[in-house]
Amino acid sequence: MRASLDNFLRSQHGEWFVRSIQIGLGLLFIYASLDKIWNPGLFAKSIANYRLLPLPLLHISAIILPWLELVCGVALVINRYQRAAYILIGSLLLVFILAITSAMARGLDFNCGCFSMNSEESNVGLLKILQNTGLFLSCALMEYRTRVVQPKS
Amino acid sequence: MEHLLLSFVMNKMNKLTRDILTLIVVSTVLGISAQAVLPNGIGLKTEITIVGDDSSGVAVPAVSINPNGDGEAAQNISLRNAYSAFENNTALFFDARSPEDFGSGHIKDAINLPVHAFMDSLTYLENLNLSRHIITYCDGEDCNASLDLAADLKMMGFSNVNFFFGGWQEWRDAGYPIESGP
Repeated sequence: MRASLDNFLRSQHGEWFVRSIQIGLGLLFIYASLDKIWNPGLFAKSIANYRLLPLPLLHISAIILPWLELVCGVALVINRYQRAAYILIGSLLLVFILAITSAMARGLDFNCGCFSMNSEESNVGLLKILQNTGLFLSCALMEYRTRVVQPKS
Repeated sequence: MEHLLLSFVMNKMNKLTRDILTLIVVSTVLGISAQAVLPNGIGLKTEITIVGDDSSGVAVPAVSINPNGDGEAAQNISLRNAYSAFENNTALFFDARSPEDFGSGHIKDAINLPVHAFMDSLTYLENLNLSRHIITYCDGEDCNASLDLAADLKMMGFSNVNFFFGGWQEWRDAGYPIESGP
């Protein structure tokens, strides 16, 4: 099972498959970042709703996070610094998953600020956790492929 | 051999760490510079607003009340003033919680306007006079929905909006008129 996955990842098709996931993830993060970049105040308000971050770090996080998403997204699309980019995105996703889980556990109910600052967007919930877990797994797959392919190169 | 392997791994690791740091630094520089250019740019330092009843203030980030930093932010209203507005029937009370929470108990005559479904209430809101006194509330100090709703209403053009931060809990504990059901 694992050997056939490794062989697939080493093949041309495997490379295309992972590359298309990489570009898809990059485009998704570019899209997700734009509204937050344009509305840093609304995004800061979104982060504040989680009640996790110390207040002095609120603005600086709301300023840097969306740009990190954008820069990593672009890096994935143009295939430069891509390993650093998906590792950063994977780490961000882990933090988001933990933040949403903790908000749910505390019974908080609010817009997660995941993709846009629209108040109509879905709230924190299981679906958001599943969505982020799926994205995290795609980062893990990219790292796995790098490790499978690297010894040969 | 082991030494070679170690230095190979170290080199790889260093490059990766370097790349990660590069991306972080680039994002930080872009993010901070962008605040000077963006129409809704925010400062690096988190501004704090104290809200709550007369006796006990709670520190909340200013962006929670006025995310775009434009115009006049909605103000907090104390339990006493909220009750006097209720008694004199001079204000509309908007309950920002979910329909389920609203159904299980709310301020008498309040209107349920869940903040997440703000767009669904537009038709209703458009028929209101923009100078009408509106008081938003949610569960109490542990929720932000009243602030969110007040900020949304301000952005929509309502000029006389207060949020009652003590919320449902403070009102109920004071023994003021309540009712349940949709």
